[in-house]
Amino acid sequence: MSKKSEGKEDIRCDDPALTRRDFISLAGVGGAAALGVGMLASAPAQAVTAVKNSHKTMGVAGGKTEGWTNTFNPASTNPLYPPRDAPKPGEKIQEFEIELGISVHEILPGVKIHGFTYNGTYPGPEIRVTEGDWVLVHFKNNSPEFHTIHWHGIMVANEMDGVPNGTQWGVGPGQTFKYLFRAQPSGTHFYHCHNMTNLHVQAGMFGSLIIEPKDDLVRRVFPYTREYTLLLNEVDTVRVEREMEEMVRMMGSMQKMNESPKLMREMNGRMMGWFVDKKAFVEAVKSGYIPPYVSSRRGQNPTPNFNYFLINGKSYPMTDELLIRSGENIRVRLVGAGAMSHFMHLHGHDFWHVAQDGAPLAAPVRLNTVAVHPGTTTDIIIQGTNPGMWHFHDHSDLSTTNNGVFPGGMMTMLMYEDASEHGVKVPEIVQVSS
Amino acid sequence: MKKIVSPILILALLHVQSVWATQAQPVPIPDDQSTTPQLSIGGVGAATLNYSKTSSHGNGEAGVNFSDSALLVGAAQRLGDGKGIGSTGLGWLTLDETNEGKTTQLFLNQAFLDYQSEKFEALIGRADNPTAHLVDFPTIRGDDLVTLSNPLDPFSDGRNAEEHRYSNVASVTTNQGLKYFQNFHVQHLINTSGSGTETGINAFGATFEYLGPPGMEAFQRVPSWGLGFQHFLLDSSHGLHQVFAGGTINLNESVTNRWDFRIQNIVTFGSALRSFSSATDSFRGDSNAVTIAIRYLSNPFGQLGYQLSLTGGYRNYFSIDDSRSIGAALTGVKRLGQGFDLVGQYQGQSRDRSLAAVQSNGVKYEQTLEVGFVFSFESTINPHLTPRRTLLNQQHQYIPN
Repeated sequence: MSKKSEGKEDIRCDDPALTRRDFISLAGVGGAAALGVGMLASAPAQAVTAVKNSHKTMGVAGGKTEGWTNTFNPASTNPLYPPRDAPKPGEKIQEFEIELGISVHEILPGVKIHGFTYNGTYPGPEIRVTEGDWVLVHFKNNSPEFHTIHWHGIMVANEMDGVPNGTQWGVGPGQTFKYLFRAQPSGTHFYHCHNMTNLHVQAGMFGSLIIEPKDDLVRRVFPYTREYTLLLNEVDTVRVEREMEEMVRMMGSMQKMNESPKLMREMNGRMMGWFVDKKAFVEAVKSGYIPPYVSSRRGQNPTPNFNYFLINGKSYPMTDELLIRSGENIRVRLVGAGAMSHFMHLHGHDFWHVAQDGAPLAAPVRLNTVAVHPGTTTDIIIQGTNPGMWHFHDHSDLSTTNNGVFPGGMMTMLMYEDASEHGVKVPEIVQVSS
Repeated sequence: MKKIVSPILILALLHVQSVWATQAQPVPIPDDQSTTPQLSIGGVGAATLNYSKTSSHGNGEAGVNFSDSALLVGAAQRLGDGKGIGSTGLGWLTLDETNEGKTTQLFLNQAFLDYQSEKFEALIGRADNPTAHLVDFPTIRGDDLVTLSNPLDPFSDGRNAEEHRYSNVASVTTNQGLKYFQNFHVQHLINTSGSGTETGINAFGATFEYLGPPGMEAFQRVPSWGLGFQHFLLDSSHGLHQVFAGGTINLNESVTNRWDFRIQNIVTFGSALRSFSSATDSFRGDSNAVTIAIRYLSNPFGQLGYQLSLTGGYRNYFSIDDSRSIGAALTGVKRLGQGFDLVGQYQGQSRDRSLAAVQSNGVKYEQTLEVGFVFSFESTINPHLTPRRTLLNQQHQYIPN
């Protein structure tokens, strides 16, 4: 069964310098069967995706789309490759080793936290593959806590989805789990732990997963050679320390119990709050079990009070700058890895919002501020049109602070390497207080 | 209030720094007044209905005992070097009815300042005796069986048991890996007897203590143990010595149904006393005191547990006749909610004639039956510091949070 899309053939174009009008036209003329594209509205949240992966075999490509403003292919969200397939002899498999451990991460000078880190880095390493590649990840857990890896936005087989006690058992201390899946759909994605997600993501358990399309529409329309991936998240440093300590103690106890047959017999679902079904849970409560969330055990537990806002694990001024030259396009992949929405604003420029959740938009959208919500990815193209040193930051200004002190947090700079050649002379200073 | 919420636990939780409205002294450099330290309030409410046959209750009286209820407030703050934490605490506890009619039934048991870094701690002020918590016994109140289970204050007149537990202290404590702690201290023990050194330092000593990984106490055969030495400056020519050792032993391998055993031995020597003329003498005589306790703890996951314990103590004086004492406490604690317990206890203590004459108005056998409630609590405002002795700090690089 061929997995190549006819639609992909249709949108090839030798002219890299396409205008926005060209982009829309190309998307629109392919026809519903081969390149059904629609644009419901200009707002990116409502934009539908361009068809990359049409499937005649799915039998829906020719489905009716009357009533929509533009035609589109309802089958375009179908997997390109059957998720439950297994590698066939001769097919290449991209292998990755990821080890999880506890390490110390410095957010910026003077601020350190203990983190659960993939391969010792916060965030974890980038995984970059090509659409259709087989991906085999050897995930070894060297921490005392249960963990998984959830492949966010990836059309994996159900058993590979990384949801503890949902699609798999949590990967216990010392255990290795092998995740195998085919890289699809293409685009900007990320991965993260799905056990105690809010805590574990704050502690560093996330990373980018970039699936390169075999034919990159965005690159053809906006030729670029440099790209940046910015993973956005927030941390309540006090809560992370306290809850990690609580978890490490709890799991340390469980580990000790695992080592003793007698103690193993004492363990039961109540220790972890695990029950075989709803009925068993209800019965346990009737017999005296007190769930951990009720006020008599927990009091009133406030939500996290985030005090640091991170780009790739760092707060301003320790964030990495985006480098550009006049006339250059750069692609910036923004990942909402945390629990808050962020509104990334670029000074001195408009940019093109070109892809959402990995898929190219039906048409690029011109913005200077783009919302990056939790669990979403947003790709933008910045064009080098205004030499200088420009701020690029979350315009929800709570997030441009470090522990409440401005400037800081989710902020970086777009820096023209040739700024001085254009007469721009901005002294480099590091400001940590206003 | 020993096992329910031990004072040392409260101290550990309440690393605090002063934020009182009035500045104690002019600061050399103006501070950023917007800095708000971590504020903590903790305490214990303890009230029991008692039926007692004791020196103060004759042949049997019922009464209400609210002693050993405590309130501790304080503040803590990360210091400028980023590695140290400065704190202060101020606390009071209630005294029992023997203090009725006196100016106060509150006792200032905490008024200290503390500096700590990863490997070093310095404390100065009114605080728990550095020797007081080598072993905590599972009785309801901290002063239960106090003459058997505590290193005693040889300057006390015996009317206030808290004098054996709290004093004015200056101490430094070093540690290795947050497991092995060496404490060196000088003390001004509370002097209500009027004898010996009136002011100034009247005791000094050292302790060594091992504390197992926090939270892992159930999995070690000996999760804590220690030993120490104390020298008392009774007057310019006489001194008194104490050596003590003790620890806790887990008797079985269990998390939900634990049995543990505690033992402590205190030997006092160096006294020339051959008889008692006052209660103070009974705190000075050469003696050997052994206290043991066996405890059963039912601690099912996600359910309220209970605890039963039997504590027994024995003291004999080497050079004084007719002076032995033996006591026991049978204690039950049923947890009704987080920190809130239903408690019951029977305790009795027998003294030989000469000891009873100075410690219990000649009553040779004192006994008390009590039932009541205990509520232990702790709350932190503006939390931004985490405890020093954590598993993360112990096992995964120390961070001065």
